[in-house]
Amino acid sequence: MGKLSRRELLFGRLRAGVSRAVPSASTPPPPDDGPKVAVIQGRHCLTYRELMCSTCYERCPEKGAIVIEQGIPQVVSDLCTGCGDCHDVCPAPTNAILMLAPRPTINEGKP
Amino acid sequence: MELERRDFMKLAAMTAATGLAGSMASRGSTALASSQPPLPDRPDIPGVTWEKAPCRFCGTGCHVQVGVQDDKVVAIAGDRQADVNKGLLCVKGYHVGMILYGQDRLTKPMARRDGELVEIEWDEAIDIAAKRIMASDKKFGFYISGQSTVPEGYAAQKLMKGGLSNNHIEANARLCMASAVTGFLSTYGVDEPASCYDDLDHCDTLILWGNNPAEMHPILFSRVMDRQARGEKVTVIDIGSRHTRTTERADHFLPMKAHGDLAIANCIAQQLIEQDAYDHDFVEKHCNFRADRDPSAKFDSLIDHDTYVAYVKEEGATGLFGQAISFEQYKKLVSYYTPEKTQELSGVPAEQLRMLASVFADKSQKIVSLWCMGMNQHTAGTAVNNLVHNVHLMSGHWGKPGDGPQSLTGQPAACGTVREVGTLAHALPGGRIVAKEAHREQAEGFWNVPKGRVNPKPGYHTVKMFEQLCTPTDQGGDIDTIWVQVTNPGQTLPNTKKLFKAKADLKDKFLIVSEVYPTATTELADLVLPAAMWVEKNGVYGNSERRTQQWFKMVTPPGEARDDCWQTLAVARRLYELGHPGLKDKDGEYLFSIKDDDGNEVPYWEWEHYYDINVDKDLFDEYRQFTFLKHKNVAPYDELVKHRGMRWPVIETEPGTFKETRWRFVEGADVYVEKGAGIQFYHSVTKDNKAQVWFRPHQWPAEVPDDTLSLNLVTGRVIEHWHSGTMTMRVPQLRRAMPSAYVEMNPDDARDRGISNGDIVRVTTRRGELELPAWINGRAKPLRGNVFVPFFDEAAPINDLTLDAVDPFSKQPDYKKCAVEVTRLDQPSPYSLEDAN
Repeated sequence: MGKLSRRELLFGRLRAGVSRAVPSASTPPPPDDGPKVAVIQGRHCLTYRELMCSTCYERCPEKGAIVIEQGIPQVVSDLCTGCGDCHDVCPAPTNAILMLAPRPTINEGKP
Repeated sequence: MELERRDFMKLAAMTAATGLAGSMASRGSTALASSQPPLPDRPDIPGVTWEKAPCRFCGTGCHVQVGVQDDKVVAIAGDRQADVNKGLLCVKGYHVGMILYGQDRLTKPMARRDGELVEIEWDEAIDIAAKRIMASDKKFGFYISGQSTVPEGYAAQKLMKGGLSNNHIEANARLCMASAVTGFLSTYGVDEPASCYDDLDHCDTLILWGNNPAEMHPILFSRVMDRQARGEKVTVIDIGSRHTRTTERADHFLPMKAHGDLAIANCIAQQLIEQDAYDHDFVEKHCNFRADRDPSAKFDSLIDHDTYVAYVKEEGATGLFGQAISFEQYKKLVSYYTPEKTQELSGVPAEQLRMLASVFADKSQKIVSLWCMGMNQHTAGTAVNNLVHNVHLMSGHWGKPGDGPQSLTGQPAACGTVREVGTLAHALPGGRIVAKEAHREQAEGFWNVPKGRVNPKPGYHTVKMFEQLCTPTDQGGDIDTIWVQVTNPGQTLPNTKKLFKAKADLKDKFLIVSEVYPTATTELADLVLPAAMWVEKNGVYGNSERRTQQWFKMVTPPGEARDDCWQTLAVARRLYELGHPGLKDKDGEYLFSIKDDDGNEVPYWEWEHYYDINVDKDLFDEYRQFTFLKHKNVAPYDELVKHRGMRWPVIETEPGTFKETRWRFVEGADVYVEKGAGIQFYHSVTKDNKAQVWFRPHQWPAEVPDDTLSLNLVTGRVIEHWHSGTMTMRVPQLRRAMPSAYVEMNPDDARDRGISNGDIVRVTTRRGELELPAWINGRAKPLRGNVFVPFFDEAAPINDLTLDAVDPFSKQPDYKKCAVEVTRLDQPSPYSLEDAN
């Protein structure tokens, strides 16, 4: 029996099955130069304009890594694995999700 | 400078985002707005020129500003001067410019030769179409769309009914709005909502009848969410069979079984009467009572619900307009729908039903009801539309700003082109019908054609037309050619294997398709005509609130793609040249003749001359004469050019000054209401200025789950995609966000079947099977016993599985109810199980 991982669900495997010659929808993944964490930029996110959108939350493969509070998605950095799925699916005119290096903690001192 | 596609996307994204920022300041209270610096109406980008256009997608009718550079759309911004959206756009709207630039645009006419589509020249293509129609002008069907522009619809309508004396013209709005039309007609005597979107800014309670505006009409829903965010109290009551993004924002969710809406609306009336909380004054002044049959013709005393149902079952209904009944009889019939009985029929707890009734009983509240496909795609669609009008009429929640029923459309010109121009098998422009002699004569007069040219017999409705196409000629299939424009029936008709795909085996049948991209429909086409789309052509749309919206051509269509309207008119001209008598008016002149200022005929049917004049303006202003009879006066074309749409009836208050109408039938807002009348339904069915309150009993869906197929299948849209995805699947952001269809299940139903999230499962109905991934606890959660599948994905054609049963009056199919089973792939299909038993 076919089984898709959550990450593949509605996103990976099935896309290949669509036959029509349509421009490829994939964006290059963020360059792999160390751990990343997702950051949602409010100025680009649709939910900051009273529009309902929860695509990133719906597709996040890590339970609890994106939560919705009062209609607005927020990343819980400690749980985010940096997979970049949310970046890939964000439908905002300007992609609202940045994949950044995790912020160093204060104790680590100056970079 | 040639813009690279990459640059285009960057620019589109950038400017769209500017539009977003602009919307922030323009929305909300004046206090909020004034705290921020004023923003320009549209982004200032060197080299980019801007023009207005309504959005290409849904029936909301938002306006966008389209930025053009070097003959390409390079930017989209929300139009801050538009009343509908005030600068805001939804996720589809921000990307609307990119629908023009998918890589597989159709750019050359193609004809099927030996099974393959081969490129041909336009002249030959027009010739093939015209000769085919010439040879079988009575077996020809024209199937257009709620996305066709008003002039496109009018040209097709005039060609068919005024030229070919053929009433087989339909539009895909039959699948979408027909039950709303029959609802308005039978309740008020005239089509289209009396209310408008302004009501959303004034209502205290918003009631959603099987409606998910957060995904389907996001801009309208955001008007209400915006008020809540500013601290205003707006109670949202969601009645539905699926827990959606809308439900997340609702104060109350009433979980409803399929067809529960019929019982719920009756229950509100029962409660209003039982508690004597109905509006005596409103009902006395403005309402009559009506039903399929008047029992007093047969019975001496008032009869009860079950006797009535049996009586109508035996004698049959009397037609769309039914018969008058007394208030006492209505009261007796509706008394059946107690909250307890209704709980049994609808699944909604009696306590919630009493709460809902108490909202209507409260005169101090202003209530808006919204609905769309949930009530229209319904085998009792006309009935449920009547019933929702009923509760507003009975309770007097009607005709004040923020207080009234508002039906929504799903397509940008379902109202403008289909309902107003009447591109349906029984209709003529401006609310006329072919069955009425006076109406035919008026049309013949406007078209200057001989008396008797318009055929009095309605043509085939959509389902019947395609059924006749797919039935072999020797078995009575008397439609042999269909021309499809601006829609994709191969994916969107119900039961597509029967109603569309069966055509593949019938070699003598012929399908002409005007399209912009390859679709499930072009796959079976014998002739493909590449079409211009949206701002590649002039156009006029009409949205859900009677707003007529005009735009100009801004960019050149790709390759040899040409306007749909030109295609129709070029074929019409070729028919004239071939000697078809219908293409001459009664003076022997060409039916579609357009003269320039010097009185010379303009050869606009030659593509190079099509834009020598504004053909849209000519057709629209001709059509405009039709609109006065039913007081649907549209504004002159030149007036529409100046506005972001105008809501009809548009009144010329003094020469050259035009004023729109926000609320119909309401004194002070609608000039046709007599002084002192307050509210006047001046197109009343009963000719006494009153609306009809209908008794419509509960009935079960055409196909209900059973032991073999134990679930109910609901289909619909998702926020990212519009209809069959022809446009939105070509927009990378939207396609990426939602690349393929799925079956959404209730977690309990999934658990019972051993299905977990992401499993590929088999979805089976009596008409076929489809494999889809299961999505559980995702975006939405259907109530137990229901599954949901979106229809945008052509790789997962769910309409192969849907049912083609229709409403008896509106002939609209029901895409929300049919029996289905979902099984794991390692389990036998439900039918093999049945065989084993």
